[in-house]
Amino acid sequence: MLTVKDAELSFGGIKALDQVSFEARSGEITAIIGPNGAGKTSLFNIISGFYRPQRGQILFDNTDITRMRADKRANLGIARTFQNLALFRGMTVLDNIKLGGHIRLRSGFWTSGWFYGSAQREELALRAQIERDVIDFLELDHIRNAPVAILPYGLQKRVELGRALAMQPNVLLLDEPVAGMNREETEDMARFILDIQERWGTTILLVEHDMGMVMDLANQVVVLNFGRQIASGSADSVQHNPAVIEAYLGTKATQEASLQAS
Amino acid sequence: MGQFIQYLINGLISGSILALIAIGIVAVFKSTKVVNFAHGHLIMFGAYFYFTFAVMLPEAAFMPSWVAKWEPQWLLDYRGDAMMFSKEAAIATWVSNLPRILLGLVGALAANAVLALLIERLVMRPLLGQSIFAMILSTVGLIWVLEGAAGLIWTAEAEQVPTLGPNFPIRFELFGTNLFLFSASLVNFVIALLLFAGLMLVLRYTRSGIAIRATAEDQSTAYGMGINVPRVFSTAWLIASMTGAIAGAILASRTGLSPAMGLFGLSVLAVVLMGGLDSFLGVLIASMLIGVLEAMAQWKLGGSVAEIVPYVAVLVVILIRPHGFLGQKEIERI
Amino acid sequence: MITGNYKTRYQDDESIWNNWAKRWGFALSIVFLVVFPFVADNYMLLLAGQIAIFIIAVAGLNVLVGYTGLMSLGHGAFFAIGAYTAVAIHHEWPGTFPLITLVVSILVAAAFGVLFGLPALRVKGLYLAVATLSANFIVLFFIREHWFEEWTGGVRGTETPNAVFFGVELVSQQAKYFMIAPIMVIMLLFAQNLFRTRFGRALIAIRDKDYSAEIMGISLYSYKLKSFAISAGYCGAAGCLWAYFFPAILPEDFGLNMSITLLVCLVAGGMGRTLGPIFGTMLILLVPEMLKVIVSMVTDGDAMAQRYFSPMRDIVFGLMIIGFLIFEPMGLVNIWDRFWRFLSRWPFAK
Ligand SMILES: Nc1ncnc2c1ncn2[C@@H]1O[C@H](COP(=O)(O)OP(=O)(O)OP(=O)(O)O)[C@@H](O)[C@H]1O
Ligand SMILES: [Mg+2]
Repeated sequence: MLTVKDAELSFGGIKALDQVSFEARSGEITAIIGPNGAGKTSLFNIISGFYRPQRGQILFDNTDITRMRADKRANLGIARTFQNLALFRGMTVLDNIKLGGHIRLRSGFWTSGWFYGSAQREELALRAQIERDVIDFLELDHIRNAPVAILPYGLQKRVELGRALAMQPNVLLLDEPVAGMNREETEDMARFILDIQERWGTTILLVEHDMGMVMDLANQVVVLNFGRQIASGSADSVQHNPAVIEAYLGTKATQEASLQAS
Repeated sequence: MGQFIQYLINGLISGSILALIAIGIVAVFKSTKVVNFAHGHLIMFGAYFYFTFAVMLPEAAFMPSWVAKWEPQWLLDYRGDAMMFSKEAAIATWVSNLPRILLGLVGALAANAVLALLIERLVMRPLLGQSIFAMILSTVGLIWVLEGAAGLIWTAEAEQVPTLGPNFPIRFELFGTNLFLFSASLVNFVIALLLFAGLMLVLRYTRSGIAIRATAEDQSTAYGMGINVPRVFSTAWLIASMTGAIAGAILASRTGLSPAMGLFGLSVLAVVLMGGLDSFLGVLIASMLIGVLEAMAQWKLGGSVAEIVPYVAVLVVILIRPHGFLGQKEIERI
Repeated sequence: MITGNYKTRYQDDESIWNNWAKRWGFALSIVFLVVFPFVADNYMLLLAGQIAIFIIAVAGLNVLVGYTGLMSLGHGAFFAIGAYTAVAIHHEWPGTFPLITLVVSILVAAAFGVLFGLPALRVKGLYLAVATLSANFIVLFFIREHWFEEWTGGVRGTETPNAVFFGVELVSQQAKYFMIAPIMVIMLLFAQNLFRTRFGRALIAIRDKDYSAEIMGISLYSYKLKSFAISAGYCGAAGCLWAYFFPAILPEDFGLNMSITLLVCLVAGGMGRTLGPIFGTMLILLVPEMLKVIVSMVTDGDAMAQRYFSPMRDIVFGLMIIGFLIFEPMGLVNIWDRFWRFLSRWPFAK
């Protein structure tokens, strides 16, 4: 479905990504993990088109999208959420989610301004669809008319997921969807992610620090460290990979040092 | 070729004045992140204050006569019967004007400083932390307040103000062509560049300069490090008002006093953006460039074209280099 | 107390007039607009025409500044382009049907809007403010210069045509009002519709979070330019009507002063709101008139005191800008909202 080949991205001297290659298989959940600053968000940024990789390729269904503009990629069905909330803060929950439908609607300047006729039909159809597939599904009905800015963090995250979902994406990129959430909210979110996968067969890429969640959900795990891909494979195999353990816990020497210190 | 050099010189001189005006905008922006659209009007006030203290006040009845015209015997001897526009006569006139020039400068500096502090306290402080939009618009609002206030205060027709330096024509030859400039312009040029260099040194090496730079980097961190951020703001506005007062005095002696001086400030804003808002060096380069371009436009295309040179130039530069010659690009992280 | 606003069809929920207060408010405003010219004297009609024209321009500016979040200090230029285009059209083809003139003015102004909107593709905020400021000076420069003097009249300005509908020349203030008011209503409704559908939502998204909008499939390039085109087009329409409304125009009418006035009307009214331009324009254009009345009352028409009127008007204008930014940055509409919230909760809460 989505293939990243030898991607390289650097900011000045920092190599944010270095020879990253993996394939997110259709309908599966691929988790991307790694310590802070490993380049996970940067990887998402080159997939969604916010940055261009200096080298390497990104293939979507075997078409090369490396140099495609971000808004064009949305048309292909790539949707994402952000690590730091990026909701439209001046809008209500409903309007935020409606924006997810932007690519599917057709009305332009004149039909929008005139409203009656095709624009109205389209808007009402979108509304009905959103209510069914997003608002009901994510249990947002009690807040649909609330301005997003006043919602608590956990709900804002969920609205952001809803907005991405309204795009009816083929590939969904979730950047730390449960960061800063409590146990209960995390469980809700995990349930939503599994439901999405099951209901629409969406291909999901997941960046997450919550290892429990990653190991439970992911069909495949890719591990980054300092921009380099140090392991990939099933959750089990990655968990026992010495390079991964080292990246997370430090080298033997530093481990011993910290043991002695404690 | 001769003409070209002549206009080049004129351009560099007016460029130096643009730079002097630009300092005020950059200083305020660097420390407070406010771009002052009313800086031109601060300069206009500087000019009117200079006029008040150098022309109106000395002529007041209660002032001793030597303030308006200081003529000790040795000066009269020096002048002797020098020709009208000769160097000696010009220097003698300047010396006899010196008391009122100094009075004018000191008065303008002080009055403008008070004005700037008032603005900072009453307008800018309450808007701290608001959007860029609000900041821009409030300084735009200031334009009207200042213009109206000037209209209420200075009702009399403004007269000629004394030049800061002695004013006599200098003729010289370069590459076989005769060139010409006024000594007063040369003095203005030197004053402007000295002030510019001086301020850069102050910012680099003094405590308050470092405080300003730290605040420019990151306001809240600077605050956390114990820098008195509100004082930094006041300092920046003081720098702006005082360089503005001197620029006002220079402009008043060059082109006369008029309410249109304020609008001139807007063209300097264009120059500042061209150079890069947070770079003194970039702004200096842009000022000189625009000064020269304006002079050339004046020469080849006429005065009304010269007036829009900065605006066209800034459009072109923004399209090619959005953050000006040396401005720092702000990177957006997501 | 009003406890809620319940609907059984999405269509009702998505309507612009989704409650009785809005429905009645709209109906009453239309009635007012129709009755007004029959009870008003010429002076009031003059003011009303001016306000209506300004409302169109401010509504246009609102599209760009209020909804798309792009700054402009140069919309007076597009206003000027609309006005001079109308004059030029009538110069070349006297007696052109006014609506055709209007459409052409809108298109020409929109084209210039795209041109001066180009910097918006690279910069935001302050840089854009100065870039648009340049538009002001550059456009006025070309209007003043002799190259287009045949159409613009250069620095001396030019007389403007009257609109002629099917052989009827609109000469009186009242007749002109009946041309301007319906156009204003239509253009306001158009803008209102725009912002509850796909197109307008995309603009608001750009304002709120541009990169987020981009990954939702909104092309920043095309929408930003379209926004510039629309807002310039509205100003062009206003300019065209201005040319029909007043007997003559001068380049100075459309300078920086006008650009700022438009912006101030918007801020005073409330950015990104439909009613904002209406409230703001009424306030900003009526205050100087009231000031005039007050000054002449206080001074009994003393000529000496009249001298102070213009600087005082400037000061009041400037203080209003600053005052709004400090005390009511969301504009009059916010006060209006508070009032209605208060009413709907009364008597249980404030
Ligand atoms: N726009 C940018 N300019 C310069 N450096 C950047 C930029 N964006 C990211 N980086 C650097 O690239 C590296 C990878 O950053 P990235 O945000 O991808 O990490 P991450 O794995 O998402 O970390 P975290 O778990 O903290 O979110 C970091 O060193 C970061 O500082
Ligand atoms: Mg990250």
